[in-house]
Amino acid sequence: MKNIIKHRDTEVQSFLSVIIISLCLCISVFQLMSCRSVPEHPTMVEKLPEIYPDYIGVTIPADIAPLNFNFVDEDIDCMDVVAKGSKGGEIHANGDWADFNIDDWHELTRQNQGGKITFTVCIEKDGKWTQYQDFDIFVSQDRLDEWGLTYRRIKPGYEVGGDIGIYQRDLNTFKEYAILRETVVPGRCFNCHTANRTNPNRITMQMRGEGGGTLIQKDGRQTWVETKTDSTKAAGSYSYWHPQGGHVALAVNSVHQSFFTGTGQRIEVYHRFSNVEVLDTRSNELILSPLLQTEDLEIFPAFSHDGQWLYYSTSKPCNVPAEYLKVKCSLCRIGFDAEKGTFGETVDTLLNGPATDQSYVLARPSYDGRWLMYCVSSRGNFPVSQNDANLWLMDLKTGESREMKEVNSNESESYHNWSGNSRWFVFASKREDGMYTKAYLASIDEQGHVTKPFLLPQRNPRKYYREMMDAYNCPDFTKTKVELDAHEAYRQVFENRREKVKVKR
Amino acid sequence: MTKAIARYGQWGLSVLVGIVMFLFWYVWYPHALSYQEQYQLFLWTGDYFLEKISLPGGFADWLGEFIVQFYYVEWLGALLLAMLFVVLQRLTARLLPKAWWWLSVLPVAVMWWLMGDINVLLSLPMAFVLALALACIRLAKSLSWIDFLILPAAYWIIGPVIWLYVIIRVIQIGWKHLWSAGWLVAVQLMVYAWLLPQWPLQQAMTGLSYYRIPLQYPQWSGYDKDMYELIRMDYLVRNERWDEIVKRAGECQVKTPFWSNCVNLALSQKRLLADRMFDFYQSGEDALVMPRTRDLTSMLPSAEVFWRLGMVNSAQRYMFDTQESILNGKKSGRCTKRIAECMIVNEHYQTARKQIGLLKKSLFYRSRAEEMEKMIEAETEADQTTPNPSYSGGERSVYGRLRKMRYKEDFLYSYDEIDKMFGLLFMNNTDNKMALDYFLAQMLLKGNMQGFQQYLGLAQQYGGYRQMPLGYQDAMRCIQMQGNVQGSPYANYVKRMMAERRGK
Repeated sequence: MKNIIKHRDTEVQSFLSVIIISLCLCISVFQLMSCRSVPEHPTMVEKLPEIYPDYIGVTIPADIAPLNFNFVDEDIDCMDVVAKGSKGGEIHANGDWADFNIDDWHELTRQNQGGKITFTVCIEKDGKWTQYQDFDIFVSQDRLDEWGLTYRRIKPGYEVGGDIGIYQRDLNTFKEYAILRETVVPGRCFNCHTANRTNPNRITMQMRGEGGGTLIQKDGRQTWVETKTDSTKAAGSYSYWHPQGGHVALAVNSVHQSFFTGTGQRIEVYHRFSNVEVLDTRSNELILSPLLQTEDLEIFPAFSHDGQWLYYSTSKPCNVPAEYLKVKCSLCRIGFDAEKGTFGETVDTLLNGPATDQSYVLARPSYDGRWLMYCVSSRGNFPVSQNDANLWLMDLKTGESREMKEVNSNESESYHNWSGNSRWFVFASKREDGMYTKAYLASIDEQGHVTKPFLLPQRNPRKYYREMMDAYNCPDFTKTKVELDAHEAYRQVFENRREKVKVKR
Repeated sequence: MTKAIARYGQWGLSVLVGIVMFLFWYVWYPHALSYQEQYQLFLWTGDYFLEKISLPGGFADWLGEFIVQFYYVEWLGALLLAMLFVVLQRLTARLLPKAWWWLSVLPVAVMWWLMGDINVLLSLPMAFVLALALACIRLAKSLSWIDFLILPAAYWIIGPVIWLYVIIRVIQIGWKHLWSAGWLVAVQLMVYAWLLPQWPLQQAMTGLSYYRIPLQYPQWSGYDKDMYELIRMDYLVRNERWDEIVKRAGECQVKTPFWSNCVNLALSQKRLLADRMFDFYQSGEDALVMPRTRDLTSMLPSAEVFWRLGMVNSAQRYMFDTQESILNGKKSGRCTKRIAECMIVNEHYQTARKQIGLLKKSLFYRSRAEEMEKMIEAETEADQTTPNPSYSGGERSVYGRLRKMRYKEDFLYSYDEIDKMFGLLFMNNTDNKMALDYFLAQMLLKGNMQGFQQYLGLAQQYGGYRQMPLGYQDAMRCIQMQGNVQGSPYANYVKRMMAERRGK
C-alpha cells in the first residue's frame, strides 16, 4: 500500500515537474518572441523617429499616464527607448513598442515638472540598429488635478448609434470604466452627461426618443425629469450647469441628418428648431425668456465662470436641409441672475455669423473667466460633422479672437472643455481619418500660449486606436470618479418615473 | 429482441437525428444559416475570447459563435449543427432512464422548433448541451456539496441555463438537494450586484446572450413561411443567384417592399426590369429601394441595390445602420466587408484599413480583407507617383467601375426624390444602364406618367434594347388608353395603388 502511495507521489511529482518545465518553456518562448535585444553600435540618422501617436514636442501634465508610443513602420524587430529628465531621472523601455512602467513614469514626470524629458529612440530592423534624433516632451509647471476624462463612445455612423456608452478614464493610468452603457437601457439613445465645471456632484444627461427624460443627479441622488411642457417645443438636450449648481441651461431642439453623395463630408446635421431655457433643479421650474424662445435657432448654451452670463449661438431659420449652406450662427450672450432666476433684457452679439460668413458655435468659457473657446466653421450648428470646424480663442479681457492654429487640423475639431484650473483643455478631433473622433489634450498659459496637443495615451496606442470602432464624443474632465447607479437608472427609465417641470411665471 | 432495439435503436436514433438535421439545414434551410452567420463576426483573437468570457454565459456564447462562423460554408455549418443536435440527443438519452431512451428526441425537436425564431442564438442550444454534459458527469450523492463550488463557475460558463443542471441534480439526488436552487439564486444576485453594473436584473437572471434582442425571449413561432421566404430572397441576393430569385418569385411571393426590392434587383441584374417588372408584385414607391428602417434586415437588399448602382455612400450608410441595428452589439461580417469596400471606392483608406483589420481576424473574411489591403497599398503607391488624385484604380475592377458610376457632384441625398437621384446618376454616366432602368421604373412606380414619357427616349438611346421593352410598351399603352387596358400588368398595379390610397 505504502509503495502504491509512494509510487503515486512520484507520479504526481513528475507530473508537476513536467507542468512547471512546460510553463517555463512557454514563458521563455514568449520572451523570445517579444523582442528584448539591446542596441549595439547603432547607426545614427539625422531625422526624428516616426512614432504613433505623434508625441514629439508635446507638453504634458505631471502624473499623466505614460505616453507610450509605437514606431510607424510596423516591420521593425525591436524598439529601445530611453527617456531622460532635464532635472534628473531616467527610465527605459524595450520591446515591440515603448511601454513605460506607470510608477517610474510618474516619478520621472513629477521630478521634471517645469522641465523636459528627452527621448532617445533606437530601432532594430533586419538585425541592424538605427538611432534617431532625440526629441523632447515638456512637463508643464501647471498641474492637471482632475482624476480623469469622461466621454461618450458611439459608432461614427449615421442614424443608428449602436452600442452607445458613457465612459470615464483615469488619466493617471489606462483604466477605463463604464458610467452608463446601452446594455443597461437597451434601445435607448442618450446624450453625453454634463458635470458642473468638472465636478461630478452635479450630473445631467438626456435620454432621447420614446420614454426619454432628463437625468439630474445631485450629490448622488438620481431623479429623472420630463422637461417638455406645453410652453416648450421639446425636451431639453445640450446642457450646461450654472456654477452655483442650482440651474441647468438646456437647448430644446429637433436634430436631423442628411447625407452627401460626394466623397468629402458624409453627413450634414441640422436642427429644425432650437431654443434655450434654464431649469431650476431645486424647484423643477423652467425659466424662459422671449429672447431665447424666438423663431431663430438658439443653441449650445454655456454659463460664464461667474454665472452672470449665458453664452449661446443663434442662427436664422432656414429651409433645411435644402438651405443647409445658409445656416450661419452668431455667438451671443444674455445676462442671468441666479438669485432671482431671471434673464437680462438685452442680447449682446459677440460674433456675427452672417456678417462674417462663418458659423460660431459651442462657446466654452474657461472657468477662470479669462478665455472663451468656440468652434468656427463655414456653416451649420453641429461642428463635429463639419470638416472645416476649427477651434478659436477669445480673450475675454480684450475681446480679441484668434484661431488656435496650434491645435487645429484639416479635419473637424470640436467638443472642447476646460480643466478645473483652466490651464488644460480637451477636445475631439477627426484629424487621423476624418471619421473617428479621438480625444486630445493641450495646455494654455496665462498669456494664451497653446501647446501642441497630445492624443489620449493608451497602453499600446496603435493596437488600441486601430481596434477601437467607436468615436470619442464630448470629452470632458472630471474632478473625481463619477458614481452613477446604472441599475437605478434602468429602474427609473423603464418604470417611467419622471418628475414634471413647470414653467416659472 | 427488445435489448437489440434498445441497443441499436439508440444509435439509430442518433444517426437519424444527425441526417435529418443535416439535410434540414443544408438542403432546405441554408438561408437560415446565412442569416445567422451575417449577424456576427467571430474573431480569432485572445482579446475576443476574454471579452466574451467576461460575462456570465459568455463561454457558451463564444462556442456558439465559433460554430456559427462555419455557416459561411453551408455544408460545414449544417454538419456542425447536426453534430450539436446529435450530442444533445445523446446526452439526453444518457440522463433518461434506459427504457425511455426514445424520449431523447424530444429536446432535439423542441430546440429545433425554438431555433425557428430567427433571434434565437446558437448559444442557447450550446448552453443546453453544456448543462446536460455537466449533469452527465456522475457526482456521488455524498459529494453533493461540491455543487456549492461548481454552480458559480458553471453559471459563469453556461449562463442561467445552468438551472437545467440544478433541476436534473434535484431529480437525481432528491428534494434535499433543493438548497442548490437557493444557492444559484444567491449567486445570480451577487453577480448582478457586483459584477454586472451595466446590465438589468432581468437579463442577469435570464441570460445575456441567448437571444438577439435584449429583454425579449424566444417565441414559439417555429419556421414562419413568409419570414423564411424573405430570408431566402436576401440569401440569394447575397450570393448573386439572380436566376433563382426570378424563378422563385414566380412560385412564391411575399407582399412586402423587402421582397420587391430583391426581385427587382434580380431582374435588373438580368436586364429584365424594363420587360417584366410589373409581372411581379410591386409594393409601391418603395419597391426598388426602401427608406431607412431601424432594424437589422430591412435595408440589406436596398444596400445591395445602391452598391450595384454606384450610390456608394448610400450603400455604406445602409450597411452601417444595419450593423448598428444588431441589438446585441455584435458586428456583421457581411456589413463590415461591404463598408470597407465602400470606403475603398471613396478612397477613404484610413477608415477602410480599420474595417479590414477587423475582417483579417476572422476566418472566412480574411482572404478578402487581405486582397483589399493589397489593393489599398497598390493604389496608395500609385497615388504617390501619379499627380492625378482622382486615380480610378483599374477600370476593369469593380471598384474602378463604381468610381466611374458614382455621383460627380456633391449634394444631399433625398429619398423623397429618389427618381431624380436615379436620373442624375444615369446622366452622370450614361453607361450606367441599371440607373436608367431604376430611373424609369421609379417614375412608373410613382405614377409620374409625364416624366416617364419625357425620358422614355433615353431607353431607346442608351438602354441597349433591340426593341422597346414590353413593360414600357405596356405602360405607354396604359397612358394612351388612360388605364383601360385589359390584362395589363401596369394598369393592374396603378389600380391597386389607387385602391390602397383610397383605403387609407
